[in-house]
Amino acid sequence: MGLIQRLIEAVGIPTVSVSIKRDITEQVRPPRAVFLKWPLGHPLGEPGQVDQQTTVLLDVLELLVTATEPGVIRDLPYRWRREEYHLAARLEQFKLAAGAL
Amino acid sequence: MTLQRWWNQALARWLVRFPALLAIWSRTRRFRKAETIPWMPLQKPLIQCRLALVTTAGVHLKEQPPFDMADPNGDPSFRELPGAVQAEQLRITHDYYDHRDADQDINIVFPIDRLRELVALGLIAGVAPHHYGFMGHIDKHHVDTLVTKTAPEVARRLRRDRVDAVLLTPA
Repeated sequence: MGLIQRLIEAVGIPTVSVSIKRDITEQVRPPRAVFLKWPLGHPLGEPGQVDQQTTVLLDVLELLVTATEPGVIRDLPYRWRREEYHLAARLEQFKLAAGAL
Repeated sequence: MTLQRWWNQALARWLVRFPALLAIWSRTRRFRKAETIPWMPLQKPLIQCRLALVTTAGVHLKEQPPFDMADPNGDPSFRELPGAVQAEQLRITHDYYDHRDADQDINIVFPIDRLRELVALGLIAGVAPHHYGFMGHIDKHHVDTLVTKTAPEVARRLRRDRVDAVLLTPA
């Protein structure tokens, strides 16, 4: 995935990805990635967990805006299946930031 | 189903159940460490951006040919997906990870509904006219095909569609 990401960025399109294998991402070095210590096959989380999936998506998009140096890997704090997601609050925060984004 | 496919699928389930196995597996795979990193800053505010999705989770339209599961080195081809694609039009062909959860809800590997909800909320401008599906388990000479042919072709098409940013998701 990281190789594809690098080639897309190289034609002048900003890219961001979700990594669940940090060691591979560190070697392939895509321009921007968030990392989650979650199981293979679940980059956005669990089936039907809309708040969880959207929370990850917002974090990913935020990195697209805030990253200032190539190769950034942002570690997201969410524990697998042991996390409560407060999407309403996160969305408000994101909207406030979105003016500047 | 061939014995090889059965074995691949069984291995994929173990890798999800036991993360330590995954760590061992990924140490056996060598990736060249890149020297430089391409970089293109976002050109406009997020609320004006149209986003495309690219996934390596083996996602394709049900009517498109599935990825080649017979070749142990994987399949470096891609499937172009319409921007307006609905989750129920999609399926996953990829024996190298356990996608039973993603079969239930494709958004965990291809967050198309979540992206549309952000469009409805006005947080992003829209969804691109096309998305792209690859399968991630690519090895040996197929890596060259990916890097010199199929991935550059997808990059070209994303430029053609004038997408403002791309979100990539793995298996």
